[in-house]
Amino acid sequence: MERSPSAPAIIEGERVTSFGELFRLATSLASALTECGVSKGDRIGLALPKTTEAVVSVFAALFAGAVYVPIDPRWPRERVTVALEDCAARIVIEDSDGVPRIRDSRGATTISWTEALARASARPLKEPNSFDPAFILFTSGSTGRPKGVVISQRAVGAFVSWSAGQFRLGSTDRIACPAPLGFDLSTFDLFNMALRGATCVLVPESGIWMPRFLTRFLLDERITCWYSVPSLLTLMLQEGGFAGRRYPDLRLVLFAGEVFPGPSLARLQAALPYATCANLYGPTETNVVTWYEAPSGFDPSSPPPIGKPCPYADLKVDTATGELLVGGDSLMCGYWGRSEETDRAVEVLEGKRYYRTGDRVSTDANGNYVFQGRLDRQVKRRGYRIELGEIEAAFARHNAILEAAAVTHSDPEYGAVITAFVRLRPGEAMSLIEAKAHCAKLLPAYMLPDRVVPLSVMPKGSRGKIDYRVLALRAAGLGSDGHQG
Amino acid sequence: MDIKAEVRQYVAKKFLADGQDFALEDTTPLVTGGIIDSIGMVGLIAFVEGRFGVDFMPREVDVHNFDTVERIERLVLNKLGNVPSVSRQDRGGGNV
Repeated sequence: MERSPSAPAIIEGERVTSFGELFRLATSLASALTECGVSKGDRIGLALPKTTEAVVSVFAALFAGAVYVPIDPRWPRERVTVALEDCAARIVIEDSDGVPRIRDSRGATTISWTEALARASARPLKEPNSFDPAFILFTSGSTGRPKGVVISQRAVGAFVSWSAGQFRLGSTDRIACPAPLGFDLSTFDLFNMALRGATCVLVPESGIWMPRFLTRFLLDERITCWYSVPSLLTLMLQEGGFAGRRYPDLRLVLFAGEVFPGPSLARLQAALPYATCANLYGPTETNVVTWYEAPSGFDPSSPPPIGKPCPYADLKVDTATGELLVGGDSLMCGYWGRSEETDRAVEVLEGKRYYRTGDRVSTDANGNYVFQGRLDRQVKRRGYRIELGEIEAAFARHNAILEAAAVTHSDPEYGAVITAFVRLRPGEAMSLIEAKAHCAKLLPAYMLPDRVVPLSVMPKGSRGKIDYRVLALRAAGLGSDGHQG
Repeated sequence: MDIKAEVRQYVAKKFLADGQDFALEDTTPLVTGGIIDSIGMVGLIAFVEGRFGVDFMPREVDVHNFDTVERIERLVLNKLGNVPSVSRQDRGGGNV
């Protein structure tokens, strides 16, 4: 990070932070955190939008030997509390009207960022061990409680240094990645900035709702590398006037998190004839483990394959089920505080650990892995993964609801559509607004069902279990307004 | 031009079953109340910009000021240079 102190490290609108300034701020904040009692391995919650302060906090936490835990400030309060309690965060850095504050998780002390920096001492910082956890990312859990995926410095380093070499990232690159800190995509821009001296250009948080703004942003900020979920690129292509412009600086477009429909990828390639477009694949538990560079003249009749293994990944396919198992350097340490769930998800084969992805794959004629669907009920929507069981668990907490079942079907335009069927207690009524508001109190926005349909009888199989197949067919037959089409 | 009525109608039609959900008030939380998700926000912002002839920058739009019909009206009126409840002059423009 000390390579060229005056070069821009972070650009946020008009604000430019050099590498020298970032290093100074991050080390000061790290020593301030140490003064606040933070020691090696402590968890620090970062309840911040992706701003300059958030990036400084990430490096400060790591310099202090701590583990950062991104918390989306827009999550429902209960989820924030559960996540912070679950990982027993010692300190939370949060944003209050644009002013970062540091508070002790028991609420004992709250100090402003400026006060914290003033507390900085010259105490030397500890050298991190690469096997130490670097961060914890909370992801949907099927039982109704989010799970904290613990990623070590070594694991994130495996992906970042491979991507830096593979895509020749350097100090002339200006990387934009709109993913929030809690999404593993954001390790790419933050750590390639630190590792390779690239500039990290922060995308305004509300920009993701404004596809026309995003296409202008690519041009105005002279972005050379973009990394996002496919659905955001599709939006820019469909609503943002993307194809009507030229992007002389944009040389690399990476996407991950969900299937990119073939026709959208072909349109992207046509608009960017000289750029490399690559599909990256990997669950949060392993980060990226396979990649596929779309050749020019890509056949849009099917989605791109997930490609070939990254050199640090050790992949196996369960021959009985087609499930992809992932081992290698990027594998998570485990789920925070949940050894049983970790043991269920990670299998030891010939002395090596493999994560059972739940993704079914096949291999095409060129040796690329092709995603064939899930073995369970997990859904990917706009890059976020959603356990349908967590939605059902949220509905089950409403007094008026006897039982709930969530299903998904694929819409060619919108991707995964989630429909929740609910059976109310006799005599109870519930408006759609009430149902959605109840879920919004418990679930993050990305997990909310698109439609809520009341049922008087829940279809059941012979053993009395909910027949999800019948519900899925019924959901697919509903119009976009939730009425039978 | 009744901004509130038009936004209410858009939201009800687009996000609430058959558009006949009368529980939608001007103060009903749209984003924090789970009615509108991020793709829905893209459509809602585009609708408001097109229908009322305004052009937002990302810093002007957030979950808070787009969360209710009432706040959206205030945002549009501010953008048009009008102050709510003082002057509700219809500037026309921006019809799609």
